[in-house]
Amino acid sequence: MRNVKLGIIGLGYIGQIHLRHSLKLANAKVVAVADLSTKALKRAKDLGVKKTFNDYADLLKDPEVDAVLVSLPTHLHLKCTQQAAEAKKDIFLEKPISVKIEEANEIISVTQRNSVKLMMGYPLRFNKAFGRIKADLDNGLIGDVENAHATYVSSGPFFHRAEGYLPIPVPEWWFNTEYTGGGVLIDLGCHIINLLRWYFGEIVDIKGYFGHRFSMDFEDSAMCLAKFACGSVAVINVGWFSQEYVLRIDMLGSVRNISVSHMPSSQISTAFQMLARGISEFYQPHLDELQYFVDCLIKDEAPSPSGQDGLRDLEAIFKAYKNEILLESIPTLASSK
Amino acid sequence: MSLVSFVKIQKDLEYPMKQAISESLRLIDYSFDKTVRKVVIKPNLCYYWDCSTGQTTDPRFVAELIDLIRERIAADVEISIVESDASAMRCKYAFRMLGFERLAREKNVRLVNLSEEESDNVSVACNGQTYNLMVPQIISNSDLRINISKIKYTVDPIKLTCALKNIYGCNPYPKKYKYHSDLGNIIVALNKAMKFNLCLIDGNIVSGIQPRKLGLVMASQDPVAIDAAAARIAWLNPSKIRYFQVAEKEGVGQRVFIPKGSSLDYFRALYPKKTFRRKMMGRAYKLVLSVGLGRRLGLE
Repeated sequence: MRNVKLGIIGLGYIGQIHLRHSLKLANAKVVAVADLSTKALKRAKDLGVKKTFNDYADLLKDPEVDAVLVSLPTHLHLKCTQQAAEAKKDIFLEKPISVKIEEANEIISVTQRNSVKLMMGYPLRFNKAFGRIKADLDNGLIGDVENAHATYVSSGPFFHRAEGYLPIPVPEWWFNTEYTGGGVLIDLGCHIINLLRWYFGEIVDIKGYFGHRFSMDFEDSAMCLAKFACGSVAVINVGWFSQEYVLRIDMLGSVRNISVSHMPSSQISTAFQMLARGISEFYQPHLDELQYFVDCLIKDEAPSPSGQDGLRDLEAIFKAYKNEILLESIPTLASSK
Repeated sequence: MSLVSFVKIQKDLEYPMKQAISESLRLIDYSFDKTVRKVVIKPNLCYYWDCSTGQTTDPRFVAELIDLIRERIAADVEISIVESDASAMRCKYAFRMLGFERLAREKNVRLVNLSEEESDNVSVACNGQTYNLMVPQIISNSDLRINISKIKYTVDPIKLTCALKNIYGCNPYPKKYKYHSDLGNIIVALNKAMKFNLCLIDGNIVSGIQPRKLGLVMASQDPVAIDAAAARIAWLNPSKIRYFQVAEKEGVGQRVFIPKGSSLDYFRALYPKKTFRRKMMGRAYKLVLSVGLGRRLGLE
């Protein structure tokens, strides 16, 4: 059986997670990594990755690399995927696809022109509980979903106490919407929109209310109301404002109601899971999506979620930004007691 | 012995924090000097956690203190709110995200990132060693310096972040982790180099093992005394916090204090203290990390 040789571009937060999981993949081997940080490259070397590059262009020139996992800041997705596709590398691209619709279109078209595969990184589709909802919907066990309520709230890029003892710096690009494309709706909302599109099909209309608790140029909370072509309506509630992590989907159907959560385990449970299986339940979907990507390459099948999925998600997000619901203005400091 | 006041915030008042601050100052016999022209206020900003977490000073507390200062001194007194960049925090974002930009606009005060200000190098002797520190000129040139801290647990051996530790944030050098191996002595040296006239504690929300609305305001002119009192509220023994001893030895203040106002025990009973289980978990966590198993067990 073919063994896929992987290269990882970008060893930031999610890149490190991909690296850790890629080392556990069947029929695949990480042969190269690229990052600007020499510390991150050294860590990769310590984990057994032979080739390390400061410039991803050098990684893309390496004939040994079959496919790349791109986990760069969003504004760098276009240039990197263009170069990767031209170098005939299959691509696993972190969500969101890009910061602009035109760039997403260009990413899709360059991969098509060069006949390389493009898969978007959306691990929730590989979560077993969320997968069961899809199966139940397809088998008619829930009936017609009148409405759904999806919540994904966490501290986002801003570290919270539950994750350890010392705060970690937030990379500068997170504060610049030119580099991110937006705030929490594009960051966490794209996961939910992608998942709901998987369940219900295309979104025909969407409106959003955007909160700015932290007074930044980007929204730190968003509540969207989305109407799907199948007739279902969903409330999408995402936020970066909480020190507690919540990811939950509730569905009210004509036959059954269903509620599913995806929560991190306690530190003790995580430690036991790591000892027993080498991976925590929380991160299992991340490993499964990479294994699926590798399997698609071996079988020469088109992976899903595709670049088109990434584009549709981005279109819905920008439509919500455009259709902003305005509520009362922010009170002054003196009146907010 | 120094006076330390404890005042319960009366929520039903029009300006509850201003009233509580005023009462806490009255209890320690503090009155503002009317000749003061330049005031520096050092809140406790910590990362990008807002005041609801109990980790950072509430901008409303600072706003009501500013009103009080202007009433008691003069309307045109020049007020600066100061903080510095830290290893994981950029002032420009923290001021904005935590509500201080809005406060500065509404109250017409200056926000100052000490990491971008002119500083003087000073040598400070502390606990048998000499430390070369930077003192921002805006602090040395001010007439009145007010330290508004929080009460919260931090890592050993410091254990408690309060008034003394808050002055660590006046050190303009951003990569503060370089001081962590000798943190206690550095905190004391900084307090010797930058003496603050008044210490207030915004204890409206405190952070123990979880946040808690305590509705407390404390005041003292002695940072060691107010920290010793805060440590007791947080169920810590002040005599077991080594940098308090060093601070006392170096003449920064005294651990023994005269309490004024509400009962310390009332607030202590409400404080979300560390449980035995939590202490054991913390020790086990540190042990796992120290033997290099953190990553393997998914704890890093």
